[in-house]
Amino acid sequence: MDPSEVEFLAEKELVKIIPNFNLDKLYLIGGDLGPFNPGLPLYVPVWLALNLKQRQKCRVVPPDWMDVEKLEEMRELERNAATFTPAPCPYYMELTKLLLNHASDNIPKADEIRTLVKDIWDTRIAKLRLSADSFITQQEAHAKLDNLTLMEINTIRGFLLESLNCMYKLRSNLQPGSSKGPLADY
Amino acid sequence: MESQSYLPVQPGVCMEENFFSLDDILLSHQRLPIRTEVSFPRLGFLEKSSDSPDIPMGTKMELPLWLSKGLYEQNKRMLSVELPKVYREGWRTVFNADPNVVDLHKLGPYYYGLGSQMLRFDSPENPEIAQTLLQTFIGRFRRTMDSSQNAYNEDTSALVERLDCLEKTLFVSGQCGLNSFQGWEKGQACQLSASSLVLNYRKRKITDVQS
Amino acid sequence: MFCEKAVELIRELQRISDGQLPAFNEDGVRQVLQEMEALYEHNQADVNETKSEQRADLLPSIRLRHCCLLRNQRCVGAYLYDRLLRIRALRWEYGSVLPANVRFHMSAEELQWFTCYKKSLASFMRSLGGGGGLDVTQDMRPPKSLYIQVRCVKDHGELEIDDGTLVLLKKNSQHFLPRWKCEHLIRQGILEHVVH
Repeated sequence: MDPSEVEFLAEKELVKIIPNFNLDKLYLIGGDLGPFNPGLPLYVPVWLALNLKQRQKCRVVPPDWMDVEKLEEMRELERNAATFTPAPCPYYMELTKLLLNHASDNIPKADEIRTLVKDIWDTRIAKLRLSADSFITQQEAHAKLDNLTLMEINTIRGFLLESLNCMYKLRSNLQPGSSKGPLADY
Repeated sequence: MESQSYLPVQPGVCMEENFFSLDDILLSHQRLPIRTEVSFPRLGFLEKSSDSPDIPMGTKMELPLWLSKGLYEQNKRMLSVELPKVYREGWRTVFNADPNVVDLHKLGPYYYGLGSQMLRFDSPENPEIAQTLLQTFIGRFRRTMDSSQNAYNEDTSALVERLDCLEKTLFVSGQCGLNSFQGWEKGQACQLSASSLVLNYRKRKITDVQS
Repeated sequence: MFCEKAVELIRELQRISDGQLPAFNEDGVRQVLQEMEALYEHNQADVNETKSEQRADLLPSIRLRHCCLLRNQRCVGAYLYDRLLRIRALRWEYGSVLPANVRFHMSAEELQWFTCYKKSLASFMRSLGGGGGLDVTQDMRPPKSLYIQVRCVKDHGELEIDDGTLVLLKKNSQHFLPRWKCEHLIRQGILEHVVH
């Protein structure tokens, strides 16, 4: 998967906005949107929120987890835990990038949030690599990917799958005759 | 970053070959030291060192893997295959001691692929060879992974130099994941770009003209 | 040794691993086919002799030549197949019209194959989207907006957009155009996507 496709999926997440215009309810294939009343908060998908924001039609309310104190807590938790802690949101990396790039004026302490999220990401990726390595060295057959987000899995997917494939083939070498095809390739 | 439309046939890893894979064809072109156990009449010209019209029984020569395999699987009494040095006990001890110090590119470059193929020839050492192949891969994995994940758009040739072909493929796919993520982070993912194939063609046209 | 020419064909492709199409090596392929013919004839003669004169000692050599025949077949097959993969990729990178210097490297059969591939892709795309058709070579990544800012990398004459207006694509000029009109031109390196 290309990261832009992962981002596309993230854009379906709902985010709270406060519109400054009037519009009746919209009935779309992907779900109903609105109605929009000035000053009245409502939830819309991120793609719409950002579109409205760019045209200065709304104010974006940052999600609960996008808060310096909460993220600092999560960062500590993540650093101290051996396993993966639940991510702030399944699309925390994508939403941070999207919202901070397009609506940073609506998000208090945007720069600090950016750094914190990056710290959490780095810690988790380092952990992911460590566990990939011990997965290979201990020749495990299966692993739990609890609490990993799509973007995290996506960055290592190709590499890990190919590595596991190689290891599987090298291991099957150990059983004589098991994978010998009936015919030679010339 | 570039979504590439040309996807070559992937090599079949280890003991299986992919019929149309270019890599596997080149791998099976590696030459093996053999000894003929029968005579091959009228093929003497293949063995440059003698003037005989035949290849007599007991001739020591080199044959490509594909041919040794083809003859051996048909009839195990036609030739005996010698194990290449890197898979023999002496080198196996070196590999088992520290797989990270060996230059698999120089010793291979198809260390795992050729080694797995060697298992097709019945040899009492096969279990040890298979074990060494696996342990070497595992022992070197961390380094392959780290180098592929940490080389932030740097020149990677020095790192890749010592990798075997199989590890190199892994390295490239690790880099690919990392680069596309970093490109996304920098906001390059939403930018449309020219096809690298088209650009390379243009480059080549210029060098053609210059030469 | 036999089959050296055939492996040379494979090496030729392996050297250019980015997907560019080298000139069709007609001479190389012909030499491989000639070697195969010779191998086949030698084997026919030896097989007949084995039967008529009970020369079982010829069997190892027959077997060896047979292996070489199959090897040559594999190499030529892989050579042609890998080239087809490259040619198919050209349709996606360049669009349906290939520049002369690319076409020049294809054999007559490959040109014919490209035309067939082009046609079947086109009729597949026409059949999509409830009769309206859908260009599946567009929007290879999720689009963010309908219009994009582009800069011309080189002169490309006039471009007609949806409402019939003509835009002159002059080197270094900037335009705000519908994304679907530009995507192919960007891939071909004629326009450049400007991101702020």
